[in-house]
Amino acid sequence: MAPPAATAAPSVPPSLSLPPSQFARLQPHAYLLGHLSPPSASNQPSIRANGRAPSQFRVTSANAGSLTHTNGSAVVRIGDTAAVCGVRAELLHTEDIASWSVSQASGSNKRRRLADLGEKPTEEDEDEDPEEDRAHIEDLNLLVPNLSLSTGCAPGFIPGAAPSALAQSLSHQILSLLHSTRLVRADDLRVWYQPPNLGPEELERHNDEEQMDVDAEQSATAEEKPREIKAFWVLYIDIMIISLAGNPFDAAWAAVLAALRDTKLPKAWWDVDNETIVCSDSVADARKLSLRGLPVASSYGVFEADAAAGWRANVIPDAVEENAQAQKDKKGSPERWILADPDGYEEGLIQERACVVIDKEKDGKTTIVKMEKNGGWTVDTEDLRQLVEMSARRWDEMKRILEQC
Amino acid sequence: MSNQRQASSASQVPHLSPAELSYLYSSLSLPKTPIRPDGRSPTQFRPLTAETNILPGTNGSARIGFADGTQAIVGVKAEVEKTVLANETLARNDGGAGLDRGEQEGSAAVGGHGSWVQMSIEIPGFRDDDALPVFLSEMMRESLVGAVGTREASDMAGGLKERLVINKRWHWRLYIDVLLLSQPLAYPLPLLSLTTHLALLSTKLPKRKSQGEEDPFFDDDWAVAEYLYPRPSLSSGKTNSTGSSFVRPPVTLLVISVGENIIFDPNREEIAVADAVLAISITRDSEAGTLKLLSIRTVDPPSRLTQPGVPNSENVSMLGAVAPTEDVAVLNPATGEEEVPGVWRPRRGGVKRSVIAEMVKTALKKGGVGEEVLEGLEGVEVS
Amino acid sequence: MMADRRRINGPPGGTRPAVFASNLQSGTSATDRAQRQRQPSELRKIFLKTGLIPTASGSSYLEFEPSASLAAARANPKSLIPPSSALKLACTVHGPKPLPRSAAFSPNLVLTTHIKYAPFAARQRKGHIRDASERDLGVHLETALRGAIIAERWPKSGLDITITILEAEDDRWWGSAPDSHDASWGMMNVLAGCITAASAAIADAHIDCLDLVAGGVAALVSDDSASTSTVAPKLMLDTDPAEHRSILSACVVAYMPARDEITELWLKGDSSKASLEDGDDRTGHEALIDGAVDAARGAHAVLAEAVRESLLKTVGQA
Repeated sequence: MAPPAATAAPSVPPSLSLPPSQFARLQPHAYLLGHLSPPSASNQPSIRANGRAPSQFRVTSANAGSLTHTNGSAVVRIGDTAAVCGVRAELLHTEDIASWSVSQASGSNKRRRLADLGEKPTEEDEDEDPEEDRAHIEDLNLLVPNLSLSTGCAPGFIPGAAPSALAQSLSHQILSLLHSTRLVRADDLRVWYQPPNLGPEELERHNDEEQMDVDAEQSATAEEKPREIKAFWVLYIDIMIISLAGNPFDAAWAAVLAALRDTKLPKAWWDVDNETIVCSDSVADARKLSLRGLPVASSYGVFEADAAAGWRANVIPDAVEENAQAQKDKKGSPERWILADPDGYEEGLIQERACVVIDKEKDGKTTIVKMEKNGGWTVDTEDLRQLVEMSARRWDEMKRILEQC
Repeated sequence: MSNQRQASSASQVPHLSPAELSYLYSSLSLPKTPIRPDGRSPTQFRPLTAETNILPGTNGSARIGFADGTQAIVGVKAEVEKTVLANETLARNDGGAGLDRGEQEGSAAVGGHGSWVQMSIEIPGFRDDDALPVFLSEMMRESLVGAVGTREASDMAGGLKERLVINKRWHWRLYIDVLLLSQPLAYPLPLLSLTTHLALLSTKLPKRKSQGEEDPFFDDDWAVAEYLYPRPSLSSGKTNSTGSSFVRPPVTLLVISVGENIIFDPNREEIAVADAVLAISITRDSEAGTLKLLSIRTVDPPSRLTQPGVPNSENVSMLGAVAPTEDVAVLNPATGEEEVPGVWRPRRGGVKRSVIAEMVKTALKKGGVGEEVLEGLEGVEVS
Repeated sequence: MMADRRRINGPPGGTRPAVFASNLQSGTSATDRAQRQRQPSELRKIFLKTGLIPTASGSSYLEFEPSASLAAARANPKSLIPPSSALKLACTVHGPKPLPRSAAFSPNLVLTTHIKYAPFAARQRKGHIRDASERDLGVHLETALRGAIIAERWPKSGLDITITILEAEDDRWWGSAPDSHDASWGMMNVLAGCITAASAAIADAHIDCLDLVAGGVAALVSDDSASTSTVAPKLMLDTDPAEHRSILSACVVAYMPARDEITELWLKGDSSKASLEDGDDRTGHEALIDGAVDAARGAHAVLAEAVRESLLKTVGQA
């Protein structure tokens, strides 16, 4: 039996005998190619099989704060991909950190300086010691993101099995992005304690109620007694991909971002009588995290008309001739398309991927936080520049969505 | 692997042909007088041999063997452990606020905690996190820690959980290890439950010599050790030898319904054709002296996974050989479905409420199966 | 314990959940226990929607209406401690699909159920690996569904049902001592929700069933604050454990109204002291089962509506 799709050359619109849905399954590559390069006679615009323009992202929505048992939570839907993120904060006492007393002794004068700075309201990033920040968040594992795909989100991920390679890779990408963007300030996670100046006794007695006043009085006493860190908040950031239809990273990262923006940490203090950290359950006392910027991730895939063209030259030396021909064609008509936010169907046809994480400062200046490209070599410098522009436009859109939720 | 997957909550799928299943079903569903393959009456248990205190290294142990060769061993170990409650780790050092909390703390410590009883079940051919062992241990543990006596009774007022409290800061932790020694021929629940019951009956805790709130220490003389479940003393117990005024460990009975009949302690073949399978946990109500229901769980009947028989009218090789009138589907009153008599159909659907009520009633009624079983176990000589 | 190398682990020394000052001074509790505002036989509203996860053959999302106290706490947040919680879960169905080659022949559809709590689903952080209670729930759900599915229509096939619980129900009020009644009553509400949601997802996947099977919970509760419990416990439907001082006994059923049959029954606790109306000669457990069946009938109405919506959507597309 001849495969029915053999009759369908790439440029022939899929209309002959097979319904489009079946043609899409049998010859996915030809199907998508047919959509992207319609016959010149038909006057149709180049459009993806899912009806989007190549640079168009899927409809995105976000909703934050709906989960009861979290410090912050968010649901982000990008098209049919949905991610739920819950942030849970727990306390890490410095006495539970094996190396704490050692590192504290060596870095004590640096800490002292930081302690002094901490009393001023911090407005700008620059007034914090980045090295100290990094050391605390990264070395003490204060941010713990874990992504789970074992939710039945797509066939092929066996529920109950260990995290798949994809899930592990996504978890680590999120972790490294959290670290490299320095999104969370270490100072938000520290729980300080000001040892009482032994003189005024009433200070100690009213320690519980008047913690805030104590802060104010500190400036007077700080000279004699350096305040010390008693504990850190550890943020467990768990992401459940509820539905997977391509591009999980953008959705997961957006969910993390929205959940962290929603996160409230209770006011915590060292209780001398109980020798432990005690928190206030009052919402008025709790404070939100002050995040650094709003890094937005945008992923792209490159769809090639002839997926093997680029490789053939290397693998089969005789094909050089052919390759040269292909290069010539490239100049005439584009033989590859950069597809923004690929869906599950497109991801199966894509070798080369790119991911750009962009942030914009208040004056509108665009910063590239992260740029990643792998799986091929067709994207050149000019393309990358366009990707950054596209991502900058996406940043505006995501900012609006995240601020509304 | 897939065998075990199917065998999730209800043992293995029996390898019986549809014809055998159909024959079994029709003899077990004979109105009022079911005929069981081994000739037992519907409420009769399989003959068993039992002994206790077989493992010298444990606080209590028992072995039960059924006549079909399946046997199980249960060992109970008790360890003293410090009571740690999340909120009270703080409150303990808290001198000032402790005054208002005193009462609450006291009542909490007396309550005991279900997690102090740990149960593990080992069944050959199953991993300990497979569905069957997990389901069985949860089922048995929940009735064990749930069995609470009445408030008036003295020592075992809060059931097993409270018995484990030593004082506000210390408690016993109980490890119950259940081992099935043979392949699970039938659904192993009755065997494991009876053995656990017997092992707990024989469990002794050393006599405490410390007083009140001090750190506990114990008499090393095993002869004066006290039973975990106190027994009637010989002097007063003569008139009341069933021990009805004492809390007893629960026992879980396996009950099936076939047609309109209710059958206890089914063997492997019988459970294979059951319409419904229930696990009913009962214990003696120390106050009324009657039996009390602790929990009911449905068990997935393996009959749902069996292979259907093919009626002659649909059998190609028999085409034309039988008159079409010969097998006409009739309504089975028990399942409410059209069936051809003598042709096996896997069971589907659930169980009617009236059937459940009848099953529970049979288990609980005075002089019924439950009492018979508990008395039988009581009679096992605890040496 | 070995660190899990395939996940990102937190600080090796472990972390502690936050301790709130108001918990320490229980004499003057900051927030009072949530009170049930509903009538004894009034059910919570259920939000149920099918087909939200297009990559699965069938899917559903279920949410319980937040209790009055939780809704009030959300509208006007004062305390960081939520008074109660409301079930939220997502269910997917994959299949029917061929069994793996290594599997033995099965004349029926082989059902696999899998229930997992998200780490942030409950008051206590849950681990990434399923614990005994989650496995136990999976077995209960399998029993409930297998009675409803007409399995012999798919020989040699498998059906995977996966449920992710995003928010679970409480086992007790958070302020009660952790051991005052430590049975996991919240699990029963979770199971009832799982049964209803899975039933909707199976219908969404167009698997033949005898009837839509719905889950319902009823419980015997005693709410009198006096310690002498001379007042007999009352029967309530669809109980939220956070709203009651003490639950004596509870029951969850999976029920098919069309056949008046129960495919799954899980009852525990002491039901012998139920106070029923005069002339009601049912025993405690019978009343409890009847109550749970009534609750399941309520859930069934929601279920039928959701399935009809999903059907209309499919017809509209075709």
